[in-house]
Amino acid sequence: MQVVATACLVLLLTPLRAAPVTVADDLGRLVSLSEPARRIVSLAPHVTEDLFAIGAGEWIVGAVDYSDYPPAARRIARVGGYSGFDLERIRSLRPDLIVAWGTGNPDRQLQQILRMGIPVYISQAERLEDIPVTLLRLGQLTGQQAVAQKAAGAYRTQLQQLHQRYAQRTPVRVFYQVWQRPLMTINGRQYISDALRTCGAVNVFADARALVPTVDVEAVVAARPQAIISSGGEEGDPLGSWRQWRSIPAVQHGQLHVLPKDILVRMGPRLVEGTAALCAAVEQARQALPSR
Amino acid sequence: MPAHLTPRRCLLILGGVSLLLLLAMLLSLAIGSSSLPLGEVLHSGEAGQAVRDVIFNLRLPRTLAAVAVGGLLALAGCLQQVLLRNPLADPYVLGTSGGASVGALLALLLGAGLLLVNLAAALGALATIVIVFLLAGQDHSATQSRLLLTGVALAAFCGALSSLLLSMAPDGLLRGMVFWLLGDLSAAPWQWPLLALLGLLLMALWLAPVLNVMGMGLQSAHSLGLNVHTLRWGVYLLSAAACALAVTSAGMIGFVGLIVPHALRLLLGQDLRLLLPAAVLGGALVLLLADVLARTLLAPQQLPVGVVMGLIGVPVFLWQLSRRAAA
Repeated sequence: MQVVATACLVLLLTPLRAAPVTVADDLGRLVSLSEPARRIVSLAPHVTEDLFAIGAGEWIVGAVDYSDYPPAARRIARVGGYSGFDLERIRSLRPDLIVAWGTGNPDRQLQQILRMGIPVYISQAERLEDIPVTLLRLGQLTGQQAVAQKAAGAYRTQLQQLHQRYAQRTPVRVFYQVWQRPLMTINGRQYISDALRTCGAVNVFADARALVPTVDVEAVVAARPQAIISSGGEEGDPLGSWRQWRSIPAVQHGQLHVLPKDILVRMGPRLVEGTAALCAAVEQARQALPSR
Repeated sequence: MPAHLTPRRCLLILGGVSLLLLLAMLLSLAIGSSSLPLGEVLHSGEAGQAVRDVIFNLRLPRTLAAVAVGGLLALAGCLQQVLLRNPLADPYVLGTSGGASVGALLALLLGAGLLLVNLAAALGALATIVIVFLLAGQDHSATQSRLLLTGVALAAFCGALSSLLLSMAPDGLLRGMVFWLLGDLSAAPWQWPLLALLGLLLMALWLAPVLNVMGMGLQSAHSLGLNVHTLRWGVYLLSAAACALAVTSAGMIGFVGLIVPHALRLLLGQDLRLLLPAAVLGGALVLLLADVLARTLLAPQQLPVGVVMGLIGVPVFLWQLSRRAAA
């Protein structure tokens, strides 16, 4: 009797070729698949990067606009933009997993997708440390645990190294420009402020109320930042207009830095590279500080 | 009924509003999103330079831009209400601003810089002015509803085009486009709007006595020998030019062109010789005060000036209106 029971238990626990898998997504909802996902629709550019980072890129059958990294992602069929996609096209791609973006996708469309009965993983990374967690979970859903663990480990190691190297150095006062017109920045709760802290920099608008506040030029002049940093992507020279304000220390010491496009502003696996680029810019500004 | 118009009364009222405007301008120079010590303005060195930068290169141009744009919008609204003999008319009703927004949004969508955006807005406004002129210019009827209908239809068409452009815009550009539509006085030019305001006001004042007659009704104007047709198009062009200038330099700032002329008409009466300059000064004052609030209420967070103006101005106006009705 006992032998039979043990045999049953062993049979139940033995992973079959296609093992069912259940994973909690970033909102804590359970996502169950009967077998690893092989037809995936990605509803955010950074989700596409996540999937490529864990070796699941070839199984993406549909992605939203601006899914442009790695270059292979450009060939994936488009399903619309992340802030408004074509549900009919998504359905016709017969996906077995949809990876959505909790804060970026419109709630109304997310509800419609959930009603279609296709498993949906909602990603919602909000801190730098959330990204490896998402990578590991997506690894389980796609049967790519080993690659995901490697990617997550590399990310964590690099972030830790940056923190050890820079976090305790002389603080540099930084104005991070999200957008030029309207002039927008971030407050202390936004994840780029975490990256700034990792680099030993201080966000001059950390105390602003809104997560991504619109500010005026006067407030920046008064804050006297020692570096002004932005990410590329806007037309022309996004920081050029600052050069006329000679009273800003960052302008006097030539510390206007435009980081490479996308790496710091996407919540994907390249964020750690973005943080490294940010730290390099902050370090330059630190070297330019007048010695006391 | 407001008292009869005398030079003394004119001078008193206009002088009073001018004084208020001057005080508001000083206020606008003195406060902002930062609490820099104003006393350091004469100090040499970095700190003094920062204060001078803020006051003379940031607050002063913005103050002058608010004055010019507020004045232009109120002037345009005032003329529009006379022209259409309709209390609902505002500077935006005949499509001039709609054309400007289509031009500006298109330029923003194509990634143009600030100067090109302003130029495109001006071209858009000009195009709608010409179209209205071509389509409704031959209207000699007594009711002259064709001008209003043509303008309103064109405004609706421009609205549809703007929505189309907004729906096609990528997310990053959308923010700047919506921001333009809400109206924005930072980095707005002030030199030529201010000059144009003076010129347009003088021309409007020159027409004011005749317009007063026209305001009594087209029949009486005809019987007094006025060429109403030419006069109406003159007023249309003046008002469209004022509106186009305002929208081109600062985007679509609502409310001031509709409410300020109305409120002043309730207070001062119908005579355009007083009403026009008072509306210009009043519009400047109201927009300037709204901008000071928009800059400082949640500083360093900035609010759209049109929103602030609507939220505070409309209740004040409604209160004034109901008081008049009760009296």
